[in-house]
Formats: sequence, structure tokens, C-alpha cells
Amino acid sequence: MTLAARLLSLGRSVGFAVVLLVILLAVNLILSPGRFQPGSWGALVGLAAPLIGAAIASTPVILAGRGGIDISVGPLMGFVNAFAIQVLFLGAGISSPLVLVPATLLVGALVGAANGFLATVVRIQPIVATLGTYLILTGVTLTILPAPIGPAPAWLKALSGPLSLLPLAAMFIAWWLVRRTPYYDQLMAVGSDDRAAYTAGVDVTRVRFIAYVMTGIFSGCAGLMLTALIGSADPNIGPTYTLIAIAAVALGGVSLAGGRGGVAGAAIGAIDIFLLQSVLTTFNVSTFVLQIAYGAILVLAVMLTALQERFAMRGR
Amino acid sequence: MATGRNLFATTNARVVGAFFVAAVLHLAGTVLIPGYSSPFAVRAMLVLASLLAVASIGQTLVVIMGGIDLSIPFVIGFANVVAAQLYGDGWNFFLVCGLVGVLALVIGGLNGLISRSLDIQPLIVTLGIGMVVQGLVLLWTAGFPSGSAPQAVSNFVSIGGSAGPLPVPWLVPSLVVLAALVVLVLERTPYGRRLYALGSNPGAAPLALIDPVRMWVITYAASAFFAAVAGVLLLGFTGSAYGDVGQPYLFQTIAAVVVGGAALVGGRGSYLGTIAGVLVLTEINTLLIGLGFQPSAVQAALGFIIVLLVSLYGRERHVSTTI
Amino acid sequence: MADHTAPGLAARDLVIAPGASAITQTIAPGEIVGLAGLDGHGQELFLKMLAGLASPLGGSIEFGAPGASRKITGFRKAVASGIAYLPRDRRANGIFPTQSVLDNFAVSTLSRDTRLGLISPAARKARYDIYREKLSIVAPRPDAPITTLSGGNQQKVLLARALALEPAILLLNDPTRGVDVATRHVLYDVFRGLAAEGMGLVILSSEIEEILLLCQRVLVFRENEVAAEIADERLTADSVIAAMFGRAA
Repeated sequence: MTLAARLLSLGRSVGFAVVLLVILLAVNLILSPGRFQPGSWGALVGLAAPLIGAAIASTPVILAGRGGIDISVGPLMGFVNAFAIQVLFLGAGISSPLVLVPATLLVGALVGAANGFLATVVRIQPIVATLGTYLILTGVTLTILPAPIGPAPAWLKALSGPLSLLPLAAMFIAWWLVRRTPYYDQLMAVGSDDRAAYTAGVDVTRVRFIAYVMTGIFSGCAGLMLTALIGSADPNIGPTYTLIAIAAVALGGVSLAGGRGGVAGAAIGAIDIFLLQSVLTTFNVSTFVLQIAYGAILVLAVMLTALQERFAMRGR
Repeated sequence: MATGRNLFATTNARVVGAFFVAAVLHLAGTVLIPGYSSPFAVRAMLVLASLLAVASIGQTLVVIMGGIDLSIPFVIGFANVVAAQLYGDGWNFFLVCGLVGVLALVIGGLNGLISRSLDIQPLIVTLGIGMVVQGLVLLWTAGFPSGSAPQAVSNFVSIGGSAGPLPVPWLVPSLVVLAALVVLVLERTPYGRRLYALGSNPGAAPLALIDPVRMWVITYAASAFFAAVAGVLLLGFTGSAYGDVGQPYLFQTIAAVVVGGAALVGGRGSYLGTIAGVLVLTEINTLLIGLGFQPSAVQAALGFIIVLLVSLYGRERHVSTTI
Repeated sequence: MADHTAPGLAARDLVIAPGASAITQTIAPGEIVGLAGLDGHGQELFLKMLAGLASPLGGSIEFGAPGASRKITGFRKAVASGIAYLPRDRRANGIFPTQSVLDNFAVSTLSRDTRLGLISPAARKARYDIYREKLSIVAPRPDAPITTLSGGNQQKVLLARALALEPAILLLNDPTRGVDVATRHVLYDVFRGLAAEGMGLVILSSEIEEILLLCQRVLVFRENEVAAEIADERLTADSVIAAMFGRAA
């Protein structure tokens, strides 16, 4: 694929998400100029950061195809949150980012490796394997942290506003580096047709395993962003991110069948969802209406994406 | 090719294996916990298992077809609240059930129609539709549902109830009959055979005169219908309406289906297997609570055991054997 | 030359690609018509249009006696009118791998075995046995998954599925692809037998030998048009190859 063709296909797959982004941004600016004035952009980015992180984290395993999905992303974020504050910061008194950051990323990598082991070596269907880790992580988190507790180290809290761009940028750079390796091509090949990739000599198991580890590391990072945002540890928030993150990924043009899309699309999908929540909040409607609109727009958005794709196929 | 024959053998082996695990768990419980096999405890387990089994009918059908239904917990909650509310407002209960059933069929049909005709992942569609349904119910009741179930429904599911000479409520024998019907439909009707064929190879289905959209609409409608039945039964079980009553069933129905030997890629699975999976899950839950675990620890252990069980007999084939 | 007014499956002024000239052909009962051409020159598209699987850009497909013919506008209509189609890619569009040989055989004709809405295994097995004998299918256990059979026997089961529809016209898309030589000859005999019983057959094949062996008449496709219609004694490997490459024979 040439670069132009690749850009074209990227535009086609995330096209709708970008259009939605522009519309939602405009609506937000009109409805609540105060909330969206340039001065508060930093705070807004901070609010959106954990969801964007969760969406990016969910992407690699989905790209790897054959039902690849990690529903333990949310609980892993919650576990990282509890582990960093309750165990490391409050328990062991460690506050240095030089320890906390590597430790949480390592936790993420280990959980990702466990998921990868179950899904690719033991070969349990990914949704079941990660459902297992989902339940284990939620249970363990509630065991080590039965109730919310605070605070977070000052440097971590400082990452909540405009500075939340730092971890996000780190994730993007990491993915950008991955894209420059041969591994990326193998990942996309395995995602679109694992039989063909296998016949072509790609170690399908290894490629998928690494995707799970990447998802784990990214989830660890997203867990840190969540910790920064709430400035404390809360065992109940993490799991709520899972399904929304997957919805964001789908919205961002990443095919849940694998092999198509990327983290940029996933991030745009996440921003869409965040802006949507923001629009609905400004109407000051009850949370019930919020939920209705939210579900309806989610379905409509994937429907429109599908229709647009169909149209693009026909136009070819 | 030997792989195909193994596949056939393992499909049945998975079901037998799941029943075996349930039996072993029950034996372990009886040894470890006094009163685990007492009549009351067994009856309670049978009732809980029956409720989960009803909620899992739809998930079984949908998974065989190659889909997944995340709207089940929301539809359970919807039926639970709407039935209680309308019955509390003085409606005739049969009318209430009819209305709830029809609405559930519409919700499910919509799930299937949107997912298949536009070729969208049912994961997202059923989640979105489920959220809308739950939101509408919350809006209607302003978040505080009221009402209750008629006494007859409570008796039907009551742990202390009896069905004629049987020491179990009518729910249990009814479920046995229902299960036999579901198995019959899957094994011996054109619909059942088409369902397996569609899940087995969606690309070949239209050439074999199977209409995928029609099948998806029917099957998702059935899934929502049985979720609604579970919702009404739960109303009788808990006594009062609660919108989130279905939430535990989201992962439990999927786990039951998978522990019972179905493949989420479609074409494989059976309702008998799901029943075995339901028994396994119920035994694990009861056993762990009986051993004095906290709910959070029960959850963690449940996750661990699901993974362990599925790794014992629910493994997928390596890509090299599928070429 | 075929008589264009005889009863049969008729393509009338059929345009299969933009700018290509129209095709008018009739497949008469009892004849075996071959479709040849270099890959992607329209022969497969033509076959799919005959089956109602692709919509023509112009013209129509009609089936039946003149004056009483039905327009074929879709696959279901085609099947209902008595046209059966055997797809090319067995794995992608043919078999249901997790399902048994019997299931794979009966899937298109399920309602024929039902008694009060339930499938009678005995009726299904009896129906299967007819075709097992006719096609000499080697399947030690018909209730085992179809993937336990050899490629040739899988193909025979798929052919049995199509024949179970009791069609008047059988459309075959490269029916011997990936099938061993012994099985091929069994299939050839079956095809000839079906034609002798009055069935019209259209065979798309990538092997000229096969077409020469089976067909009385061949349509050679080039650039989405029928470049040549070769029949009877003029039908030789040289004449077909020449037409495929656009040279006068």
C-alpha cells in the first residue's frame, strides 16, 4: 500500500469519527462557550484523558483479530489505581515517579502477558479469558481497597490538567515507534487473515501475545491517568471504562474483526464520546435522558459509520 | 483428517466435562460445608440455577449463530421494572406479561436487524440498545420503580415452594420442560439446523437458502424474550422491582454458555451444555460463599475458575490446524 | 446452434459489464454447456447472473417455455424456479465445517424432511442414501462433521445438496477444483447421466480438457463478451484456446 492509499483508507475508516468530532466541538462551543474557552482546554483534556487512554489501550488486541478483545482494560486501570495509591504510596510510602511509573507499567505488562498467555498459548477465546481477568482484577482490587482512599502524590495530581498530554503523548510516541517496526506489519497481517499470515511464516501466537502485552502496558498508563484525574484511589471507577473504551474504538473506525484501524482513530472515537457526554451534560437533563441519548447516539454512530463504509465501497 | 473427528468428539466431551465438574464441585461442597446438600440448600441452588438457565437461553442461541447479546441484563431489568410498575397500577397481569413480551421481541428484533443488515458488531449494538432501554425505564419511573409481582409468580419461583409431590417450586420442572423444548428446536427443526449452519459459515448460508437477516432478527428477538421472562421471574423471586437486577447476568450468561462448550465464533454449542455451565457457576458461587469468602473474593475466584475450566476443555484450535 | 425459442434458461440481451455487447443464449434441457475463458473475463459473472446472484447491467434472465417464462431476479427466485448452483470455493461458500455430513446435505431442503414441524431423521437419512448411492459418496459416518471427509467427497456432498433441490438446470462453478482424478471421473459420469435424464447443465471450468470431455457446446468469454460459441466437431482444444486469447482459430 502506498502512503497516499494508506492515508485515503485511514480517512475513509475514521472519516465519520472526524466529522462527528467537528460537529460535536462546534455544538459544545455554541452551547457552553464558558466551559470551552481556551483557558479551560487543559482541564478538559485532563477529564478526557483516561477514556482516551483506555481506548488506545483496547486497540492493539482488537487489531490482532480473530475475536481479539480485552475487556479487562477497565478493571486493570482500577487495579493500577488501587495498587499505586494503596499499596505503593500509602502502604510502602513510595512517592517517587521513578518507582511508581515503572512499577505500574510493569503491573500492566504482567497482566497483559497473563491475558496473552491465556488467549494465545492456552487458546481460550479472548472474551472469556479477559472476562476471567476482569473478575479476578475487580475482586482483588476490592479486596485490597474496600473503599475509596486518598490522596495521590502531588506530582501525579499535577498530571491531571494540561499536563495529562504528557502520558498521552508518550502513548502516541510508543505506538508511532511500533508502527515503524516490522512487527506492525505482522500485526495487521495477522489481524486481517491469520491463516495467510501463518502460511507466510509469521509467528501468529507471538504477534498476538505481544499485542496483549502492549494493551496491558497502555492500560497501566491509562490507570495512572485515571489516578491523576481523581487524585485518589477508587475501586469502583475502573471497570466502567471497559465497554465505553471498546465503543470508542469501534466508533473510531477500528474493525472489531481485526486488521483495520489504529490508535489515532480510537483516540478520536474516545474524544467523540467525551464531547457527546459534555453536550448532554450542558443540556442539564436528567442522567436518565443522558443515558438514552448516549446509547442511541452510540448505535446511530456505528450505523452511520457502516453506511458510510458501504457507500465508499460502492463508489470504488 | 483427524481434526474434524476430534472436534466432534470434544463438543460432546465438553458438555459431559461440564456436568462432571458440577458434580465434583457439589461433592466438594458436601464434604467441606455442613448442610451443603441439605434439602433447602439444594432447592435454593436449583432455583438460582433455573433463573440463570432461563436468562441464558437467548445467549446460547445467539452465540451458536455467531453473535453475542449484551442487552440481556438491560432487558431483564426492563421487564422486571415494567411488569412491577404496570401490575402495581392495577393492570391485568396477563396483559402486563403480553405487553412486556411484545416489547422485548421488538427490542431484540431491532438488535438483530441493525447488527446483521448493516454488518455491525453486535457487541456495540446490543450494548447501545440496552442502555437506551434502561434509560427509558429509569426515565419512566423517575429512578424509583414501585410495584410488585402477583403472589402466583412469587409462589412459582419460591425456594420453599412445591410442585405437587415434588419438593421444588414449579419453576424447576417448568425449566426442565422448557429445556427439552429448546433442545428439540435446536436439534430437530429447520430453524435450529439453519442456526448452526449460519454460525458455522456465514458466507455459505445464503447459498443454502438461509436468510441471515431474518435469522438474526428472530434469534435476537427470542433472546430478548427469554431475558424478559427471566426479569418477570426475578420480580417474583426478589419481591420488588429493581432496574439493575439483571446486571450479574451479563457475564454469567456468557460464562455459562462458554463453560458449556460453545464457541463464540459460532456453529458450536448446545443448550444442554449451557445447563451444565449454569450448574457449574451456581455450584462455584454457593461453594465460595459457603466457605466464607467476601463477595469481592468470590468474584475473583469465579474469574479464576472460569479460566481454569475453559482451559481444561474449552481450548480453541491452533491456526495451523485451520488451514 | 441452439434454438433461442426452445424452453430452457435464457439470457436475453444480457450485458454483464459496462460497454460489453449483449449476450443472448439459451440453455436447453439435456445439454451440457461449457463456459471457458481466461480468469476474470466474465464467464463467472455470467454464471452468477444465470443463478440470480448478480444483477445484470442490461437485459434479463428468463426461465421456462416461451410465453410462460419467469424472470430470474434473485437467487431465491432462481432456486424456486428450478435452478441450482454449486459454488466455486468450497471452504468459503460451500461447507458448514462444524456440521455433520447429513446436515450439510439437507440444509437447503430442510422442509422436505419435516413431519409436524420436526425433522424426521429417518426421512432425511433415506433421502441422503439416494444421493450417496448415485454419487458414490464415501462417508463412513454420515453424522460426523463434513470436515472428516476428503475434498472429493465433500464436493459430492455439496453436489448432493444441489441435486436434492431437484433442479431442471444445474449451474456448476468449477466443480472439480481440488478434487482427485478418480472422483473427477465419477462426477463426469454423474453429469452425463443428469443430462441424459433431461437436466440442463452449465459448467464453468478452468480446465479445457474437462470441457472437451463433457460439453457439446462451449461459450468462450473474452473481455466480458462471448468471443466465440464453439460446438460439435469444431470443438477442439486449439479452437477454444485460440478464442480465449482472442485469435481466430
